[in-house]
Amino acid sequence: MQNNQVIWIILKKLRVPFLVLLVTFAISILGMMLIPGMDDKGHIYHLNFFDAFYFVSYMATTIGFGESPYAFTYPQKLWVTVAIYLTVIGWFYAIGTIVALIQDDALKKAIAVNKFSKQVLGLVEDFYIILGYNRITKDIINFASKSNVRFVVIDKNELKIEELVLEDFYPFVPSIVGDATNQYILKLAGINQKNCKGVISLFEDDAKNMQIATICKLLNPKIDLIVKATSQNQIDYFKSLGIRYIQNPFDIIAKRLYLNLCSPYIWLLELWAYGHNLKLEKKDLLPKGKYIICGYGRMGLALEKGLKKAGVEYEVYPIYPKEYLEKKGGVIFGDDEDRENLIKVGIKDSVAVFAATNNDLLNLTILNTAKKLNPDIYTIARENSLEDLTIFQAANFERVYVLEKILAEYTNTIISREMVDIFIKEIRKMENEWGEVIVNMLINIAGINPIYYEVEINEDNAYALSLYLKKMKITLGDIRKSRENRNELLKIVYLLLKRGDKFTLMPHPEEEIKIGDKLLIAGSDEVIEDFEYIVNNIYELEYVLNLKQGG
Amino acid sequence: MNMNKIMSGFWFILAMTLNFGFFYGDPTQISEHSAYELFAAIVINLIATFYKLGDKTQLGAVLLATSLVADIQLILASIVWAVSLYGFKDFNVTVAVSIVSLSGGALIANLVSVILFIGDTLKSKR
Repeated sequence: MQNNQVIWIILKKLRVPFLVLLVTFAISILGMMLIPGMDDKGHIYHLNFFDAFYFVSYMATTIGFGESPYAFTYPQKLWVTVAIYLTVIGWFYAIGTIVALIQDDALKKAIAVNKFSKQVLGLVEDFYIILGYNRITKDIINFASKSNVRFVVIDKNELKIEELVLEDFYPFVPSIVGDATNQYILKLAGINQKNCKGVISLFEDDAKNMQIATICKLLNPKIDLIVKATSQNQIDYFKSLGIRYIQNPFDIIAKRLYLNLCSPYIWLLELWAYGHNLKLEKKDLLPKGKYIICGYGRMGLALEKGLKKAGVEYEVYPIYPKEYLEKKGGVIFGDDEDRENLIKVGIKDSVAVFAATNNDLLNLTILNTAKKLNPDIYTIARENSLEDLTIFQAANFERVYVLEKILAEYTNTIISREMVDIFIKEIRKMENEWGEVIVNMLINIAGINPIYYEVEINEDNAYALSLYLKKMKITLGDIRKSRENRNELLKIVYLLLKRGDKFTLMPHPEEEIKIGDKLLIAGSDEVIEDFEYIVNNIYELEYVLNLKQGG
Repeated sequence: MNMNKIMSGFWFILAMTLNFGFFYGDPTQISEHSAYELFAAIVINLIATFYKLGDKTQLGAVLLATSLVADIQLILASIVWAVSLYGFKDFNVTVAVSIVSLSGGALIANLVSVILFIGDTLKSKR
């Protein structure tokens, strides 16, 4: 039915111009035939149908080959004059209508919808529907382009969609202008398609996220949603809908804060899993002592939660950008009154200060004032919009939390790195001492900056290994050997083993490998490549396992 | 009364009657079939076709289809006429018969179209 939409619009609009064209042609042709002409020998003749049609055709289209088959008589010329105005006007009117039709908004929209739905139907890989195109979602698309996940984008704003089109993503990202809460648009975007894995809804407006989640779950109960929620009410509601991936950026920050304070090595591992360096620098560690939280909104509450859990002494300095703006007529923090207030909450004997309001300028000025009052203080800023990133970098704060970035990182991990996501969840349960051992092990074996690699043991990803697994028992330790010299260890670390629904963190080398296992491995680029050789190439595997083919 | 109904009914039936007028007569005698009548039949048939454009209903689609069949048959008849007369310069009885029979085919299509149109009119309660 969708395809016909376009054709119907065209047909309906072309009805009148076609009629005009037809009638003017018919009148002109008939006239040309009825009026007698004179041939070169002075005989009277009548143009026949073909002559008349031929002449009118080139006359009306303003091609004008001349008078044919003989020069016209005056009565004929008189009629031709009338016919010219009749047909040429009719012709231009028809052409004009067609051109206008091409530029018609309704038609353009219909064509765009058509194209979009075809593109979506043409997706063979798994895909996610992204609602709203912005920096976060752009990061997500960019990141996931390395893996085998595709995206479909819906945005209300036409400019945003144009921006996306200009970005020229590869693989191609189908996009459409439309309201994300509109069922029709969601259906067009393929929410009911089998390979649609989920919907990503990270709108700033929490109510909107709730509305979308409800609609999506009604349209397709099987679908996964990655959704942002910042209050407990919403989280409960989303859970009741059966949504697995609920993202609360403030909660993430609270957890990270707690980890940093209580188990820095676990914190380091988690950050590494999200793509940071595996090196604990002194400035990364939050100092021990009294903390000050400036701003007591959602972020302030989250920080409080984290600090409370970690048992750290803290003081809250409630400051709200709206009220501040009304009172002082600006958001430049740091007049005498402000300074006194800061001193009152104890800035001089504190070790760290958070600027956690939702106004970037206010955050900047708070921290600058704090630094002036106490030069040794550890400054932590909340940054709300990424445009200000360079300013925050220049300001030289010890730590900057960018909500958008955190959201993007989390979503990426959920979408394209299932094993990493599980790994992070598992390590959070572990002790700091355990983390320290693992970090040291990783650095010793795999180097300072190892990458991770996910592999499922099957014929596609590990051909040789799955061949041999059918014949004999092979343990993880058996294949962790260098392919240059099998007496040496291959420099990889097994981080996680997933078998069915069971996970084993840091699996033992004696653990047997089974077909269908999923492994998360850390190592340097080169070593990971070696590992791929070993599991795929029969000769490499035989060498590593010390098997002799046929004696 | 619906002006739109009157207009479309008028063109549909006129297309059929003109078609019949051209078709009627001894098929071997081309002089019994007026070229002007064929021209009129083509023009009116095309007008009738345009009247059926853009009708989204099931009936509208069938009407459009029958109309297109009639157009093709009539235009084909005129092309056969022109080509044999000016192209091959050999206008014989076979050509005359084929022109008339082509218009006969168009007549049937027009008949179907008019019957459908009348049926639809009778079906509507107003």
